[in-house]
Amino acid sequence: MNNRLGALLAALLAVCLFFVFKVPGFGFVSARNLSLLMVDFSITATLAIGMLLVIIPGHIDLSAGSGVGLIGGISAVLMTNHGWPAGGAMLAGLGAAVVLWWAMGNLIVRERIPAFIITLGGLLVFRGLFWLVIESHTVPISVGGRSNLFAALTTYYLPPIAGYVLAGVIVAVFVFVSLRVRARRLQQGFAITDDEHTFFRLFIAAQLLFLFVIITNQFRGVPLPALILGTVAFSVWLLTQHTPWGRHLYAIGGNEEAALISGIPVERVTIGAFSLMGAIVALTGLMHTAYGGASTTTVGELMELDAVAACVIGGTSLKGGRGSVLGVLFGALIMACLINGLTLMAVPPEIKYIARGAVLIAAVWMDVKLGR
Amino acid sequence: MSAPLLAAKHIVKRFPGVVALRDVSFDLQPGEIHALCGENGAGKSTLIKLLSGIHPFGNFEGELQVEGQTVEFRGIADAERAGLAVIYQELALVDELTVAENIFLGAEPRRGWLIDWSRVRREARDLLDRFGVALDPDTPCRQLGVGQKQLVEIVKALRKNSRILILDEPTAALSEHEVQVLLTILRDLRSRGIASVYISHKLEEVFALADRITVVRDGATVFTAPAAETNKAEIIRHMVGRELGELFPRRQHLGLGRRDPLLRVQNLSVADPQTRQTRLTEISFEVAPGEVLGIGGLMGAGRTELLMHIFGAWGRRLSGRVELAGAELPPLPPAEVLRRGLALVSEDRRRYGLILDQSIAFNLSLSALRSLTKAGFIDASAESDHNHDLFRSLRVKAPNMDVPVGKLSGGNQQKVVLGKALMTGPKVVFLDEPTRGIDVGAKLELYELINRLTDHGQAVVLVSSELPELIGMSDRILMLHEGWITGEFSRAEATQELLMQAALGHHVEP
Repeated sequence: MNNRLGALLAALLAVCLFFVFKVPGFGFVSARNLSLLMVDFSITATLAIGMLLVIIPGHIDLSAGSGVGLIGGISAVLMTNHGWPAGGAMLAGLGAAVVLWWAMGNLIVRERIPAFIITLGGLLVFRGLFWLVIESHTVPISVGGRSNLFAALTTYYLPPIAGYVLAGVIVAVFVFVSLRVRARRLQQGFAITDDEHTFFRLFIAAQLLFLFVIITNQFRGVPLPALILGTVAFSVWLLTQHTPWGRHLYAIGGNEEAALISGIPVERVTIGAFSLMGAIVALTGLMHTAYGGASTTTVGELMELDAVAACVIGGTSLKGGRGSVLGVLFGALIMACLINGLTLMAVPPEIKYIARGAVLIAAVWMDVKLGR
Repeated sequence: MSAPLLAAKHIVKRFPGVVALRDVSFDLQPGEIHALCGENGAGKSTLIKLLSGIHPFGNFEGELQVEGQTVEFRGIADAERAGLAVIYQELALVDELTVAENIFLGAEPRRGWLIDWSRVRREARDLLDRFGVALDPDTPCRQLGVGQKQLVEIVKALRKNSRILILDEPTAALSEHEVQVLLTILRDLRSRGIASVYISHKLEEVFALADRITVVRDGATVFTAPAAETNKAEIIRHMVGRELGELFPRRQHLGLGRRDPLLRVQNLSVADPQTRQTRLTEISFEVAPGEVLGIGGLMGAGRTELLMHIFGAWGRRLSGRVELAGAELPPLPPAEVLRRGLALVSEDRRRYGLILDQSIAFNLSLSALRSLTKAGFIDASAESDHNHDLFRSLRVKAPNMDVPVGKLSGGNQQKVVLGKALMTGPKVVFLDEPTRGIDVGAKLELYELINRLTDHGQAVVLVSSELPELIGMSDRILMLHEGWITGEFSRAEATQELLMQAALGHHVEP
């Protein structure tokens, strides 16, 4: 696992270094661009983490991109056209998504229709529903420049002081938790990594976190989507690594028959994963729509493929049973940097598509080559 | 006598840790049907794989000869060229193709680049007619019964000009009528000079068909005689005859004691959910605390189905009632059954037992995670305590618990599967072929574990194909035959001969 993360880190550095020197005037590492990159990355990565939840048990969700458009559209229409308060409109979108994904999960595990088919159907159906909902128009989410909770999703930035305080708290919690884990392992007589190594790792992580806050503060502050991503990533990490439900998810992906015989409620666990995916699709849809400023027919197109790509680049096995939140974050970051850098270099969209595909194929090929 | 068509001389085949064939010698004369008999696991399947080139030359010791010439099969193609064809238990037909297409699969006659379909059909019809098989070559194989498929397989083999047919349990899934058709065709082939090796433990058929019979036991051919000069009793004796020795350390031998049974099954009848046929009929038995109930029978007798059904993982219940520790156990999913105190260790540990890519620790605690949580999160130190206890007491041989179970030997994998079941704290443990494919040392450790379980008052149901194991480790033994109980024996009453008779379907009253 550590080998893989090392390889991902190297790949990420290579991509970044390339753009640092290739983009004129060091535009890639300007505070403004890094802040924008952060928002792009947060949206892609949030969806990819949801995708991870359905890929681990061996399924896939091709409807995620259409879902992003649909849920953003529902909330936008409710708020802008029907005068709902932003919070209520967003909750309605969230609820709709959870119900839809719960239903798809049921069809997949109870009726035994492959997820590929169900969600391929979902991709088309949701896109159609989306266009019906917005009547194929553009529905703005802030009328006359007035701000609201929905629009604030991508326009709110944490004040500089709050950013530092937050980073400080996170570092403190991490130090505290790792000290406690070490103490417990020592007490039980297990091997622990040596002090210097642990310190070094914490130190680097803390440095990166503060560097991130300093840079974003130079532009407007820590963007809200970064916080949302952080919360989603941490929650999903906790769920997958530290709850029975998460273990069961890996077991189902590793060997569904053995999981069933081991007393795992396979259907319930899998439907749960899809329902959670629904909630994450909604969150992504709201952020992505807010980021664009309006709900239009193209919102969310092909996003499901970026999410799958981020998972796969991050070492997730499409057969199920293997994959981690950290890997997916790296995968999404590589994809986001690539797209952002190519855009800054004014590469035409045709070539951007080709480059994305090539990176995806190269990443998987390397994964196969390097073995497990 | 002229040189035999096929001869195997002193064949020895070793697998890592196991000797599958110790000393196998037999020969097949032209125009002869030679039956090979033996218990499950005696080495018949290994022998077939050798003859058919699946285990290539150089992977075994000894010599194979065809018509007096030593042959070195490097693969299936070599064996086919020498005129051997194997008809496997699990059929190798493509369901979506027609009879004719299957017969010519992989060797389609062509006209230029394209397949000459009219020739395929014409020649298939000729072949079917020649061997007296009444089938339309255009019928999709999907529509055929198992028996008809078997015939198509045979015709397909004959199309390759095979002179030696090897049939592995060909009648296992056939109806009585289909069996008769098959036997007639094999006799007809014999009269045309095509020899067959006929592997079966259905002795009626063997005596109805074979010219000679050879018995394989523990990887060695122990007996050969012309069918006319021997009888069923003698064959059974040779199939099972061996010493039990000190291999089985069962300590405690309860009768059906005074104590209330932990598991009671009454008049259980179960249908296969796919075919809707009844697979288990009127099964009744009880298991007391501290008791080991052995269940024996041949492959397909319904032993695994019985365990899987009670565990909630297979079949549709037609009638009957199951009680676990005094309370009714209705048909429930495995998660629920496990929670009520019944655990199952499956015969196929790679398929049903383990998440192979995951670590020993992951697999050990998998079934018991819900009892290891604090406020919804897994209590890491409680989990690792439990895992370490089992890891040590089961003596799993691995450097640490982070090793993926897929990398362990069979015996150690089996310990992990068992450990996983034990961590749920079951009252009753079902063990389905727990010692299959594991070495003698690990077997002994598993037997000791069974003793420890029953010492603690848990009940064990042990399914095994090995009669000595069944007799050596059980306090009581049930024999199944085609879904029926055909005999119940106490340890004192049980002999291998009696058990084998019951397994073959003769009702036995000890």
